[in-house]
Amino acid sequence: MLKRILSLMLVLMLVLGALSGCASTPAAEEPAAEEPAAEEPAAEEPAPVKDTIVVALSADITSLDPMGHNDTKSEKVSFLVFNRLFRLNTDFEVVPDLAESWEQPTPEEWVIKIKEGVKFHDGSDLTADDVVYSLLRSKEMPKVQQVLSEVASVEKVDEYTVKVTTNTPFAPFLYTLVHAGTSIVPENAAPAGEEISDPVGSGPYTFKDWQSGDKVTLEKFDAYFDADNMGQTQNIVFRIIPEGTSRTIALETGEVDVVDELETIDIAKVEENPDLALLTKPSTKLDFFAMNSEKEPFGNELIRQAFNYAIDKEAVMEVAINGAGVIAESIMAPSFLGYTPGPYSYDPEKAKELLAAAGYGDGLDIVIWASGDERKRIAEVIQAYLLDVGVTSSIEMFEWGTYIDRILAGEAQTFVLAWTSNPDPDATLTPHYFSGNIGGMNFSRTNDPAIDDMLKVAREELDLAKRKALYEEFHTYVMEKAPIVPLFVKSNVSGANAGLKGVELSPQGLWNIEKIHY
Amino acid sequence: MTKYILRRILMMIPVMLGVTLLVFFIISLTPGDAASMILGQEATEESIAELREEMGLNDPTIVQYVRYMGDLFQGDMGNSYATGKTVNSEIAQRFPNTFVLTVSAIFLSVLISIPIGVVSATRQYSIFDNVGMIIALVGISMPSFWTGLLLIIAFSLKLGWFPSGGMEGFISLILPAFTLAIASTASITRTTRSSMLEVIRQDYINTAKAKGVTRNVVIRKHALKNALIPAITVIGLEFGILLGGAVLTETVFSWPGIGRLMVESIQRKDTPMVLGSVIVFALAFSVVNLIIDILYAFIDPRIKSNYS
Repeated sequence: MLKRILSLMLVLMLVLGALSGCASTPAAEEPAAEEPAAEEPAAEEPAPVKDTIVVALSADITSLDPMGHNDTKSEKVSFLVFNRLFRLNTDFEVVPDLAESWEQPTPEEWVIKIKEGVKFHDGSDLTADDVVYSLLRSKEMPKVQQVLSEVASVEKVDEYTVKVTTNTPFAPFLYTLVHAGTSIVPENAAPAGEEISDPVGSGPYTFKDWQSGDKVTLEKFDAYFDADNMGQTQNIVFRIIPEGTSRTIALETGEVDVVDELETIDIAKVEENPDLALLTKPSTKLDFFAMNSEKEPFGNELIRQAFNYAIDKEAVMEVAINGAGVIAESIMAPSFLGYTPGPYSYDPEKAKELLAAAGYGDGLDIVIWASGDERKRIAEVIQAYLLDVGVTSSIEMFEWGTYIDRILAGEAQTFVLAWTSNPDPDATLTPHYFSGNIGGMNFSRTNDPAIDDMLKVAREELDLAKRKALYEEFHTYVMEKAPIVPLFVKSNVSGANAGLKGVELSPQGLWNIEKIHY
Repeated sequence: MTKYILRRILMMIPVMLGVTLLVFFIISLTPGDAASMILGQEATEESIAELREEMGLNDPTIVQYVRYMGDLFQGDMGNSYATGKTVNSEIAQRFPNTFVLTVSAIFLSVLISIPIGVVSATRQYSIFDNVGMIIALVGISMPSFWTGLLLIIAFSLKLGWFPSGGMEGFISLILPAFTLAIASTASITRTTRSSMLEVIRQDYINTAKAKGVTRNVVIRKHALKNALIPAITVIGLEFGILLGGAVLTETVFSWPGIGRLMVESIQRKDTPMVLGSVIVFALAFSVVNLIIDILYAFIDPRIKSNYS
């Protein structure tokens, strides 16, 4: 009897093994190429170059439809399979992608001419009809409908020209066209309200396969229109590796070529390894300590300024992210238009003076809210530094959903939070500091008519140089008012095989993946 | 026997109803709103309100539950909030991966633990017994994500024998299956040992020995079969534990299984996906227990005679 059970299990095991083997046979051929290319005695030609790049992602993509997601993982795939009218370079400047030229007959109207001769992966031509369809579809799809919310209408002018009208003069308009949600898809790519599951784009790579939770496979599109941004490697595979340590190990064993998000504790390990290269660039994520100006004593700007002097940001950053970032000196990350660092440095004496001037020379008692382990550690360091200047504080922890709801309701006195920005400054500054957004993302509940005016003017100023000057003025003014204590800007940290060329980071992480090759 | 099996299958219905009811209400109690989850941070109040209405989120929870169960009985588990794909297709893609992993792990642990258990019992307090039991204790005490990382460092980083993760054919199954097997090996070994100890003290074993049957045959034919009943119960239970415990192993080894899907869905408050995965887990657990019960009948004729 026992024998029978055992043999039954053995058979079952063999069948299962065979099944799992069969299921992945087509893909199993690729890793065979992972042995070092140098071992092959290359006599006549140069050594065979690896033709597949494996990129490790920390989470699966959520959709193949460029308008069906709003996350940075899915975006990486959409950027390779589709084009947009404009794209961002690694310095966050808007550069044309499908657009050939553009002009503004009136402040609300944008006439955009697109490049001729662009082909979709199925061989059809990309024309103004596809652009009109795509932009209108973008306004309908729930996950990205807010991206083009300022757009009133989209019309075809001729075969290769479209006209977009905005509700008001809207300076960040071109920035909205770099979002994955404004990718150009073929006309009638999917029935209204449904998602595209078999994407056909015009980008440098064609979609091959998506194994849920495992990997996404793309193949180079040889008929790509833009020779400068042509795919450099035959295949790109995105492998989903949720565990940080496992990602680093996979990079060390050579199973993956690039790790998009390297754990900060593994930085030293990658740096010491001669076969690996480390890449870092400050991100767009700002961690900050916010003070609710509606809760006493934070209505007094002297107190808020004192807090800006009292906290050693280096120490906070070390504890929170092992120092993998830069300290923050203003309300946004340094990569943004008009960024101007504020006047503060770590100066506890100055902080004490300001507190005394505000009438709290004998001490002050506050409550700091936090949620999650990293924010808790940040709060603890802040607590220690505040104690040095005579401010005693207690930390209260919350579950994330409750935390954010109660902060938005204005119940917190002070709290630790972070914000990841879209490339145009207005997309952060208006939600955070416009008085109409109190109860929304105006975390510090700033209510200042001067700030409201400055935001409105900057948002409508179409001249880039003037707009930059307006934001510089804005930064200086807001930092004087000190609604928050900016703490640090985390770096995007990637690891790559040292033999790889063309690996680039932007403030939003791994960039221009089509350029990566051996 | 057939009647018994049918009755057991029917009994699974209230179990599944209870599971769905419980999970549905627990999820509805957690903070956060599915509509704003789908639309993202920057969505307008109106579009959120509109979607809430469209999805029927404004209805009382019990109405939503009845509607969900109505669809479920027609084989429709709804669409994922996060990806928009049908829950059925996503589970069909992910569940087989977890199933393969779990069955391999159970197979491995049975292969290891039954012989060790038997030998430990027959040579009680010998060196072999002591070492075996210490290994079992260590195995049961090690958290699987830690075991997994140790195995990855040893066998893929240092030795390069196996891939560190992913699902590329049979070879990538070995490390995760072994990791998962370690903990259950420990408990199956201990159960086999103790029930074997009990059996070999029975009179009929002495009788068999007195008849001159060789020690080997006594152990194999007379003792083991009787000692296996508790062991098989534990194997059935372990299967359920492994299905659940696969979450950590799947994460460490980037194995695209349903455990990871479920945890990710809970974090995203993706209710249809959470419910779908829980139902599949519960169903798999019930079916395995049914199979175990049927197996008893084959191993022990006394149980079989009770059915007919």
